[in-house]
Amino acid sequence: MSRLAALRSSWSSLRTRWRQATSPPPIKWTLFTLFWLPMGICFTDMGYTVKTVTGRSMQPTLNPDSSTWRDVVLFDRWSIVVERKYNRGDIVALKSPYDAKLIVKRIIALEGDKVKTLPPYPDAVVEVPEGHAWVEGDEPFKSEDSNHFGPVPLGLIESKLSAIIWPWSRRGYLNEPSLPDPQDQRSPAWRAQKAEFERAARRRARVEYSGSSSSS
Amino acid sequence: MNWLHNVRRRVINTSRKPIKLEWSDARKAFVIGLKMVNMACAWHLVFEHVGGIRAVSGPSMLPTMEVEDELIVENRMVSIQSLQRGDLVTFMSPLDPTRGVCKRIIGFPGDIICVDPTGKYAPSTEHVVVPKGHIWVSGDNMSWSRDSREYGPIPFGLIKGKFIGRVWPLRRAAWFSRNFQYIDE
Repeated sequence: MSRLAALRSSWSSLRTRWRQATSPPPIKWTLFTLFWLPMGICFTDMGYTVKTVTGRSMQPTLNPDSSTWRDVVLFDRWSIVVERKYNRGDIVALKSPYDAKLIVKRIIALEGDKVKTLPPYPDAVVEVPEGHAWVEGDEPFKSEDSNHFGPVPLGLIESKLSAIIWPWSRRGYLNEPSLPDPQDQRSPAWRAQKAEFERAARRRARVEYSGSSSSS
Repeated sequence: MNWLHNVRRRVINTSRKPIKLEWSDARKAFVIGLKMVNMACAWHLVFEHVGGIRAVSGPSMLPTMEVEDELIVENRMVSIQSLQRGDLVTFMSPLDPTRGVCKRIIGFPGDIICVDPTGKYAPSTEHVVVPKGHIWVSGDNMSWSRDSREYGPIPFGLIKGKFIGRVWPLRRAAWFSRNFQYIDE
């Protein structure tokens, strides 16, 4: 029993020494941060991340010529990494099949769909194979997309763009484009919304959908 | 053993009086829950980005790995440059992003590959060049494996890590070697 008591006293002395050593606030706060770091990293790994988009391939949705800033956007990893929800029309970040660098494109078609391709692609119509997606930039002339490298495996897609954060004038969630009310005043915003709706309609017209609405 | 007594008194109410729960108890329970979530996160991060021991199943790697009941050590801290032909690479299946699969690397970008020496998926005289940013993979059990013969070369972006050794069953524990021989060198 005395041996146990000695063990306990040495343990308690160790504990008091540890408390004394970590009592200064800088050390205390560093240890606190380190302790809770895994939760923070997991949040950016599986939850949400903020990133800056470079390049012109998603014009005019992202980085339009009228903007002097690069777009800062919020990427949603949860619905891709955990829920595995891939929808046609979503803007996604994926690793390029050429060099595994991150690129931002829009999902045009999912497995089973038939897509009318654009010029660099050798075939006029292609059926997207199992577990793959057809991705394209909104600006076909400045985009290296599925028309160059063909359908991409869904595993390369790693997050979905959910909102624009900056510039402040274009902030907000990205939703399915809808036709503006014809009764409203024809403002530049009205015309922009109409143009976006027409672009989405043109995108859809190039795809012959298979039965399922979404794939997992 | 005073602390044990305290624990027992809290878990099993030995006194007649009901235990009154304070706000501090709720707070303690919340902090404990948060710490458990934190531990789970740390565990997940290590398995996802550092490596760990995994159970494998399936007949596609047969002489190297059994169909089931094997524990394999995986290294997730690999770069493309460190991989070599003959390594057992793990990657997300191009057919189903929820599945991880393990195959042997056969070719790197620029290599000329015989699509299928067995002649099952393509005539055995057909050859292709592995494109930029892709690798050619193959199962060891050629007669029962879905690999690059079926879905073509796989992009670097799908690669997760590589298998480096077997720990279970103990009598077959070993490091995996690259069973790759260059004919002309």
